[in-house]
Amino acid sequence: MNSLPASRFWLWGRRIAAVVILLLLWQIAIMSDSLPSMLPSVAQMLSGIGEALGSKVFWSSLGGTLQAALIAWLLASIVGVLAGLLIGSTPFAYRSTHILIDFGRAFPVLALMPVVIMLLGANTTMQVVVVGLSCVWPVLVQTIHGVKRQEAAVMDTVAIYQIPKLLKFRRVLLPAAFPFIATGIRISASIAILVAVGVEVISQAPGIGRQITLMQQAQRWDLAFAYLFFAGLIGWLIAVVLQRMETRLLIWKRQHND
Amino acid sequence: MTSGTVSSQRVVSRSSTKRRRPYALWARKIWVSSWLIVVLFALWWVLSAGSTNFFIPPLQTILEVLARDLTNGVILSGAVYSLTNLFVGLMVAAILGIGLGLLLGEVRWLRGTVDPILHFFRSIPQAALVPMIIGVFGIGQSPKMGTIAFACLWPILLNTIDGVLGVDPTVRKFSRVYRIPKNMHFRRVVLPAAMPQISAGIGVALPIGITVMVVSEMFASVEGLGYYILNSSATFNVPETWAGALLVGVIGYIISLFYGVIEKRTLAWYYASGAP
Repeated sequence: MNSLPASRFWLWGRRIAAVVILLLLWQIAIMSDSLPSMLPSVAQMLSGIGEALGSKVFWSSLGGTLQAALIAWLLASIVGVLAGLLIGSTPFAYRSTHILIDFGRAFPVLALMPVVIMLLGANTTMQVVVVGLSCVWPVLVQTIHGVKRQEAAVMDTVAIYQIPKLLKFRRVLLPAAFPFIATGIRISASIAILVAVGVEVISQAPGIGRQITLMQQAQRWDLAFAYLFFAGLIGWLIAVVLQRMETRLLIWKRQHND
Repeated sequence: MTSGTVSSQRVVSRSSTKRRRPYALWARKIWVSSWLIVVLFALWWVLSAGSTNFFIPPLQTILEVLARDLTNGVILSGAVYSLTNLFVGLMVAAILGIGLGLLLGEVRWLRGTVDPILHFFRSIPQAALVPMIIGVFGIGQSPKMGTIAFACLWPILLNTIDGVLGVDPTVRKFSRVYRIPKNMHFRRVVLPAAMPQISAGIGVALPIGITVMVVSEMFASVEGLGYYILNSSATFNVPETWAGALLVGVIGYIISLFYGVIEKRTLAWYYASGAP
């Protein structure tokens, strides 16, 4: 039903109207002085966004944040999948590590940052370590979950036909675990961006988060809002793109489910 | 040794556990799930024992400092401050998130309209809000609660919406056919059905809240666990920094364990129903 052009048109019309109403409310609140005076008006925010887009600092800080997040995400995905396959396929390893994994998941890694800064300094390596430590858990947990969640009938078939270990691993375990792994990797991408910006806010690591703090301290609230806007926009874009990719990659799975 | 035989052996041993209740098996189970932690802890203790690196103090020193500050109340007052912020923030987020979520889940056109806005706000890095909100509203306690509430709101809200959408259509039809009043329909039909998903949302919000709690105290504060960590690192009290970071981790873990227990209790009907 949504594919009808008219209904799509109305949907987007309503969505745009909602954004306009939100901005109007903000503007009214600013003009009636019911918000603190340093907050920028809508026009100032828009000009801030324009100014940010035209400045070199913006692009280099965006690059810095994305680079750190990307490296950490890739490392975390590789480590998480490999460790998850290992732990998930050996019951002893699973039983030995599950408390440790629960602990790691619950650990607010940003609290560890002062320690990591002392050890590594406030640089990109530190940022990659902190981001990696934060976003490895979804991949690890999802991979373990995916590997452990094999259908009994399939496992029995594999056992009866005496499928070699490596073949079983490649053709049975991996495909069955793949949807879970994909979800874990997608979630960890969002976390990577969030934490990368968070690290920059607290430490001196260069990037969007650092710019938000700097602009706020310099009383350039319009630019601080612009950077915050772009931080949210990028997180959103990444989430949407990865969700689309996941849906497309896992079409076979969905058909199987229905 | 194929996995088929392994799994059948496990079934056998489990049933024998139930019959005889040997406590030796319990002890074995605890040992199997904790030996790695004991080993890692011992390794850390031994390897760091003679450490001359200023930034890597012996584990013994860290624990002594932790015990000292726990008993003299320095950490305790900070923890009370931090956890109050977390609790109030989470409560506000839960009330707003569940209320709005029920509304948006039920009203289709409204949901479609604000969907992009919700996803945009959800994607804003929570930690980046800390300097903004504190810059605007000052370094008091309520801005910190507000930041925590804002960060925790989105997972709860989005999960509530999902939960409402997941209500069995047949149940919905029954509610309509019997003309259940709107108020009762929300409270007795939709809310319980969405509860497992809502509770999962709060579970997602919990670690986010703890992180924002610590960050908000690291940024501008003279109180709390985050302040304890930041202040000790700024004054080069390295064992205190380690102790604070470890403590926050342990608190995070205990809260998540505790939440898991509450969830199991309150959603006992759900787990008993055998739903996935």
